[in-house]
Amino acid sequence: MKRLLPIYLSLMVLFFFTGCAGMRKFFVDITEKNANKNNEKAPEGTQALPCSSYLEKALEYEKKDELQTALFYLKIAGTLNPNSTKIPEKIASLNSTIKHKARQHFTKGVKFCEKRRFKDARRQFLTTLRYSPDHKEAIGYLKNRLHSKEYQNYKVEGKETLKDISKKFYKDPSKDFLIAYFNNINIVNPPGSGTILELPVLQPKFNPPPIDIRIELIKAENLLKEKRGQETLDIAEKILEYDHLNKKASDLKNSAYYQMGMELSGQEKYPEAIKMFKKAAPEYQGVKEAIQQVINKELIKGKNLLKQRQYEQVFAVAGQILDDDPSNKAAEDLINTAFCQQGKDLIIQQNYTQALNVLNRANPQHDCVKKTISDVYKAKKKQAEVHYLNGVKHFLNEELQSAIQEWEKTLALSPEHKKAKKNINNARSLLEKLEKVK
Amino acid sequence: MQQFVNRKKRIFDIILILSLLFLAACAITTRLYHKTSEIRIDDDFIIVKATAIDTFSSLAAEYLNDPSKGWLIAEFNHIKSLTSGQELCIPLFPFNKGGLKSGGFQTVPVLAYYGFSKNKASKISITQDDFKAQMKYLKENGYHVITLDQLLGFLDYREQIPEKSVAITFDDGWISVYDIAIPILKKYGFPATIFIYTDFIGGGKAMSWKQIKELSKAGFDIQCQTKTHRNLKVIKKKESFKEYFKSLEMEISYPKKVINKKLQKECKYLAYPYGKTNNLVIAMLKKHGYRAAFTVNQKSNPFFIDKYKINRTAIYGKYDIEKFRKELSVFQRMELK
Repeated sequence: MKRLLPIYLSLMVLFFFTGCAGMRKFFVDITEKNANKNNEKAPEGTQALPCSSYLEKALEYEKKDELQTALFYLKIAGTLNPNSTKIPEKIASLNSTIKHKARQHFTKGVKFCEKRRFKDARRQFLTTLRYSPDHKEAIGYLKNRLHSKEYQNYKVEGKETLKDISKKFYKDPSKDFLIAYFNNINIVNPPGSGTILELPVLQPKFNPPPIDIRIELIKAENLLKEKRGQETLDIAEKILEYDHLNKKASDLKNSAYYQMGMELSGQEKYPEAIKMFKKAAPEYQGVKEAIQQVINKELIKGKNLLKQRQYEQVFAVAGQILDDDPSNKAAEDLINTAFCQQGKDLIIQQNYTQALNVLNRANPQHDCVKKTISDVYKAKKKQAEVHYLNGVKHFLNEELQSAIQEWEKTLALSPEHKKAKKNINNARSLLEKLEKVK
Repeated sequence: MQQFVNRKKRIFDIILILSLLFLAACAITTRLYHKTSEIRIDDDFIIVKATAIDTFSSLAAEYLNDPSKGWLIAEFNHIKSLTSGQELCIPLFPFNKGGLKSGGFQTVPVLAYYGFSKNKASKISITQDDFKAQMKYLKENGYHVITLDQLLGFLDYREQIPEKSVAITFDDGWISVYDIAIPILKKYGFPATIFIYTDFIGGGKAMSWKQIKELSKAGFDIQCQTKTHRNLKVIKKKESFKEYFKSLEMEISYPKKVINKKLQKECKYLAYPYGKTNNLVIAMLKKHGYRAAFTVNQKSNPFFIDKYKINRTAIYGKYDIEKFRKELSVFQRMELK
């Protein structure tokens, strides 16, 4: 046996390498055959992996708007051709396009969400994820915010007990056990001010209200048709008190506010109309547009007042618009234009100090304001010169007192007017000499 | 004579060892070959050339450490079979978790079956032949039957699943599921979940706990369908709210404990009896640690579905294969541009 051991060992080693060599040859044959078939040269250290075909694929997917796949193929092409400068540039450009498109669709989605157009919002968030698969905010909207919630958060105020909270939230103090159960708290211990509780939202049938909601809804709908907004509102509020998730009642409430807003707008009570529109949910259809329309009407009213030179009223109208819509540029422009107009009027009246006071209240960056301020200074200077020349004329006519008065007016408008100062001194000295002669 | 026998045995041993060495060498060489021909891209992908002995499963086993993920390679490369020398990209991460494409998104049908019979179909009872035909259809048409855990991975936007994925569930715990459906599923190697209501188990037409345990050990997923199969959404006549609440708590907590105790497996999913639910039920499921729950709304599920309102498509007794095919919606068209 011992004599045979080296032979056995040699045989084992031989078989092992035969196995390796056999299989290796088999694989190499296949690879070479394929490489020859494709007539493509393999990059160093690899077997036949062409870069151009990946670039073509990237282009093809980019055309199909499958940008993530296109990006992947570009990365492969870049790895296979590390000396290329164009591929990293293309990757950077594609990454930037992906980011831009994702941001664009996400923003659209959020806007649709605000308008409660959830289907449209979902489509935008899905598109965001298609471009940017790890977009956390889009995932958050799709997975959480677009689903209805079983719980509603409630912040405990003062020394509220669970019974108080249950009465407030469920209109039924006996449901306090429910709050204790879902918040893992003892029913007899008050939760403490500021505690945030999770209250399961119950279907209305578990909170039977003392009113027949169905009948009340019909009543409210009829009242709305008769344009009796306030009464519609009262009933909708009553329904919502018992069933705060009642969509029809919410819609009726919003419709009533909208209807009352339109009535006030028709009566040209624009600020009141805006206040009414703002009581409706901002996402309620037509509210934003109605507010904009009223603002536009107010602007027209303001412009008419400006034509009539009723500046204080213009400021009041435009100020109201800015209260409702602080970023309204047209209202800002109207105020500044009114200041300019008022300033110009005061220039004509030669009331330069008042003109400057008015213009100092305006936005100094506003083009018209800048120009009018400059006009005030020019007019002042011009008027100072007129008074100076008048003074000269009086002086030549030997009307020294009148000359001094004109030059004093010059100095009032232009305190640094050297000639006026000098002439006043000369005229006064002459007057003194004349007095002595007399 | 004894010496001759010993020598023969030794020669046999040597041949065996040498054969093993030969095979080991082959295996090592295959692996070495891949290692030398692969290119790794940013830890995200690997490019390889397929060899004659490669399959999607072998590549998935080698590069993804999971032979069942061969479909990931096939789908990424848009191919259905491998040819020797074919260049392949192997994605090392789920490249499309939500199944999103420019023309729409992936949906997963969850099939809900109830009872079975040898020959006679009724609304909720399917014949053996029809069930066989349905499973055969799934197999032959490239559908992947996934587990509910895989489905949840998809719904959580964590995992990618095959494009043509479908899940199979059975309600109640009928003995006919054990007798008729399970052998067919085993034949095709399909996983499935059985939602049981625990008061039913051990009854005349129901499975016994012994059979349930056997199925659980065989890899079938046993989940919960409450204790008594009451309609969780509806408060009964003359039942106070507090009584209703206590009943809900029992329906939801008791079967979970029983299943955990009997099978030593976690019960994390619930099928609503009659598919009905409300906010209170969902809040309670969450409190008791259920991860998802199933209705019987006849729709497929996109990844963004509410996990406590997962749709299931009930398959009724008189469905022919065409009607069955129509229920297998795996893609929802919608322009995502």
